[in-house]
Amino acid sequence: MNNFPILTALVLVPAAGALVVALMSKRHPDIVKLAGVGFSVVTGALSIWVLGKFHTGGDGSFQLVSQHSWIKQWGIGWHLGIDGISLFLVVLTGILFPIALLGSDSHHDIKPYTAWILLLEAGVMGSFLSLDLFLFFVFFEIVLVPMYFLIGGWGYDKRVYAALKFFIYTMLGSAFMLVGILTTVFLAKAQLGHITFDLVELQKASFAVSTGRWLFLAFAIAFAVKVPIFPFHTWLPDAHTQAPTAGSVLLAGVMLKLGTYGLLRFSFGLFPEATRYFRPLFLTLGVIGILYGAIVATMQKDLKRVVAYSSVAHMGFIVLGAFAFTGQAVSGSVLQMINHGVSTGALFLLVGMISERRHTREISQLKGLQSVAPIFAGVFTLVMLSSIGVPGLNGFVGEFMILIGTFLTARWWTVVAAAGVILAALYLLWAYQRVFHGQPDEANKTFSELKLKEALVLAPLLGIIVFTGVYPKPMLDRIQPAVNKLVQHVDYPQPQSPIAAAEGGQ
Amino acid sequence: MLISEFLLLGAVLFCIGVYGVIVRKNAVLVLMSIELILNSVNINLLAFSLKYNDISGQTFALYIIAVAAAEVGVGLALVLLIYRNKRNISLDELSEMKG
Amino acid sequence: MLSTLLASDVVAPFSSPKIDYHALAPELVLAGVIVAVLLADLFLEESKKWVLSTIAGFGLLAAFIPIVTLAVSGHRARSMFGGAYVVDTYSLLVKGIFLLAGYVVVLLSQNYLEEGDYYQGEYYFLLLSSILGMVMMGSSRDLVTIFVSLEFLSIPAYMLAAWRKRDLKSNEAGTKYYLLGVFASAVMLYGMSLLYGDTGTTILKGIGAKLQNGSMSPVAVLGIVFVIIGFAFKVSAVPFHNWAPDTYQGAPTPITAFLSVASKAAGFVALINLIYVAFPHGGDVFQPMIGVMAASTMTLGNVMALRQTNIVRMLAYSSISQGGFILMPLAVAGGKSSGNALTAIVTYLAVYAATNLGLFAVIIAVSRKTRSGEVSSWGGLFSYAPLLGVLATAFLASLAGIPPLGGWVAKFGAFRAVITSGTNWGYALAIVGAVNSVIAFGYYGSLMREIWMKPVPDGDTAPIRTPSSLNAALMICGGATLALGVVPGIILRFSDIIKL
Repeated sequence: MNNFPILTALVLVPAAGALVVALMSKRHPDIVKLAGVGFSVVTGALSIWVLGKFHTGGDGSFQLVSQHSWIKQWGIGWHLGIDGISLFLVVLTGILFPIALLGSDSHHDIKPYTAWILLLEAGVMGSFLSLDLFLFFVFFEIVLVPMYFLIGGWGYDKRVYAALKFFIYTMLGSAFMLVGILTTVFLAKAQLGHITFDLVELQKASFAVSTGRWLFLAFAIAFAVKVPIFPFHTWLPDAHTQAPTAGSVLLAGVMLKLGTYGLLRFSFGLFPEATRYFRPLFLTLGVIGILYGAIVATMQKDLKRVVAYSSVAHMGFIVLGAFAFTGQAVSGSVLQMINHGVSTGALFLLVGMISERRHTREISQLKGLQSVAPIFAGVFTLVMLSSIGVPGLNGFVGEFMILIGTFLTARWWTVVAAAGVILAALYLLWAYQRVFHGQPDEANKTFSELKLKEALVLAPLLGIIVFTGVYPKPMLDRIQPAVNKLVQHVDYPQPQSPIAAAEGGQ
Repeated sequence: MLISEFLLLGAVLFCIGVYGVIVRKNAVLVLMSIELILNSVNINLLAFSLKYNDISGQTFALYIIAVAAAEVGVGLALVLLIYRNKRNISLDELSEMKG
Repeated sequence: MLSTLLASDVVAPFSSPKIDYHALAPELVLAGVIVAVLLADLFLEESKKWVLSTIAGFGLLAAFIPIVTLAVSGHRARSMFGGAYVVDTYSLLVKGIFLLAGYVVVLLSQNYLEEGDYYQGEYYFLLLSSILGMVMMGSSRDLVTIFVSLEFLSIPAYMLAAWRKRDLKSNEAGTKYYLLGVFASAVMLYGMSLLYGDTGTTILKGIGAKLQNGSMSPVAVLGIVFVIIGFAFKVSAVPFHNWAPDTYQGAPTPITAFLSVASKAAGFVALINLIYVAFPHGGDVFQPMIGVMAASTMTLGNVMALRQTNIVRMLAYSSISQGGFILMPLAVAGGKSSGNALTAIVTYLAVYAATNLGLFAVIIAVSRKTRSGEVSSWGGLFSYAPLLGVLATAFLASLAGIPPLGGWVAKFGAFRAVITSGTNWGYALAIVGAVNSVIAFGYYGSLMREIWMKPVPDGDTAPIRTPSSLNAALMICGGATLALGVVPGIILRFSDIIKL
């Protein structure tokens, strides 16, 4: 089984699933749903297998590589590989998709709904695994289409507007990236002697300073829209609010990560000089995102919008850590991507359950749920605390590493960002208080308790939240080699550790 | 050789033709203006053909004459069609579709 | 007297030119089929007229056979009539595209004509004549040949556009197309006469040898400009696009498909012949001109398309805008990315043909039920005609350039061509193109939205019955669109090796 192209299977199984589901008869929705869940569970199992086969330690290079030629004339290949940065994102994708399929209901047209979700999974997997710029771009674009239809077809009232806004924003970003990719490749052709879209080979080319900066911007716009980095975030609240529950879960859980992952893998990997040059800009935007997201979240009346804006803040943290260029901060960033995916995904599921029961997400309409549904409230509390970053849960590990790592190289930014942690506690706890505390009124009295099926769907996420919070070492062991390699590649002057610096000063 | 005089005549005919196509609203007059342009082309071709003592220019002109006849045939048929349906051949009133 | 005249050495003894019948076989087969259609039409009863479409369809496929044999025969180029008519890999490739596109148009026309009770014999005769003109255009390397091919393909098209004789819209479509087309070819001819005057030859290669950058006479510059303007009409490039929306909307739908794909492709083929063979050193003249035209064509086409409520009219503007993308690589032809530009255009033409014809097939199929051309008539298409809904989405996504459908290969090639030119000018065009491909999603997406997200108008969810010929067209186009996107090698292995 050693030669089994497991990464290729990770992409093809959900794609085949989408095809199979699309060809099934729509008269048996149960079988359709079963098939959809089946394919996504198989993909999830494959991703766990990858986790098992992943070789810990080493020099952080790509593993399980699968490489074939696709369009020879243009140097485009089917080149997949995985390293510590993408490993857990792939696993997260594998876990989150079956959960999203099981944990939410399409209400109508389950067949296309399931097919789109599986196609989305193929696209996301492909994006995380591609080591070929063009292949990455293809998957990056494919991802948009199912999401567009999911939001537009199964979302809430203003879904059509939100879907188009989402699509135009992200596609505009990737239009620049396409020009950037092509320019990169053709400029590199002069140095490498042959045309290739292969990331590993392209990293050997070096670009003139100003060219590199322009190209960096072309890539960064696409990723910044996806993350989203302030001020490109305006599509996000609309998309999240209007999307069906599964759409929100997947959007927050894995799709936003495409942006930060893209920054780390492609922008950092190809243009280290420009990355260093634009560092202050991105640190600032990251911090603005943290504060802006937190402040706006406090003012929201819709529970889903609160969670949506909290995503803006969390993604700000991830960007901040990524651009700190220390091993610790970048590892924290990668870890925080997973944490955010798990906890925000779970939050969206819970909010979705509330809205299923009450047909509203208005905070003012909800009251006193704790007394009628204590287990539900307990689960919500746990997830919320993870999102706030309370020690002992996963969010703390990531945020702490980001803050410590960033403090070494970008002290003042860190100081301001730390305020964001406090604000996060403020808006989430305040929302929690209004929704769960107090005496339930007539409408909220009938709020039903967490069902067994719902609990089972949430269980893996809760497990990850606690496990990562208590014992993050196995994850960090796998993340760190790749991150160290990346940090070396970016080549930012590393600070001495503060202790060493202090000793040196004595 | 009086080549420049021929070219001048050709250019003047061309300009009159283009002017006619742009200004005239009657379909038949527009057709006639186009014929003027085609004839200016023929004059040019013949003049150059004599200058180079090369027969291909004259061949070209013969082709143009033949094709122009076919074109006018089709054009008049179209104008007739419109006249039958509308009793009018003003191009300004041909505006069924907008946008 | 006569004998002395013939014997005099004023007239050089006539020697018949060598004719390579193998090279001319596609044209000869097509000409034979045209005559067969015309004759059969005379002797067939009204109830048996359907035979004509079969003859036309098989005739087009038969003409494709010699193209294959020529392609495998190994000769790089067969030149005839002093270089006026050349059969090489490039011309074979575009001829193949024309013939297959023509075959699909015949499939689209079959039921449309039978149910509309139109004049079938004349229709197929004219359609085939127009296709023959296009096939000839692929090989034309002489001003006279180009002119004759152009008229050969255009004149039948004028009549086809006005085919519904009693319908004033169709009359208007034909008349506008005719007047602007004839005017454009007159302007083009004037330009050709100037080119002839400057160089003393009508053979494109000879013209190319005489015209050199920097030392070009004003006459030649004027000639190039007029010739390009003439073909700009044909490919409906802004600002010479005014006829296209009206003509496309008014003409019978299969003819609209034909005009927007094959006729437009023929215009591009002519432009390629002229620019690559006759003006390879005229970049200073045509590059800025075509660059500005390309940028404004895609932008204006897109912006106008956003406002349309009629599907065919929207597609008319979409096809104008796609024309801008096809022009984009031509704007850098003559520079160091000449080869890439040629590959890009031919690839684009092939992909665009498959996609756009497919979309028109869907339109014809849907309007069989709805009898309406409004965008809103597509509401909820997916719910009652899932296959058509999925195919329409695929074609729209391909036009928008979303992988893995064919459109991305086409756009990719176009971007590659302008970017490899390495000029700021090329980068600027690439950015304009990239932004435009996003704007385009505004209207492609609005159609997709109708198909997937909007309610069915009047709640009429009776399924659509598509005749087998239409199904065949849909499958051919759908298969080609997907195949070109997933395995672009099938077209690239041809379009990469062509040279002019």
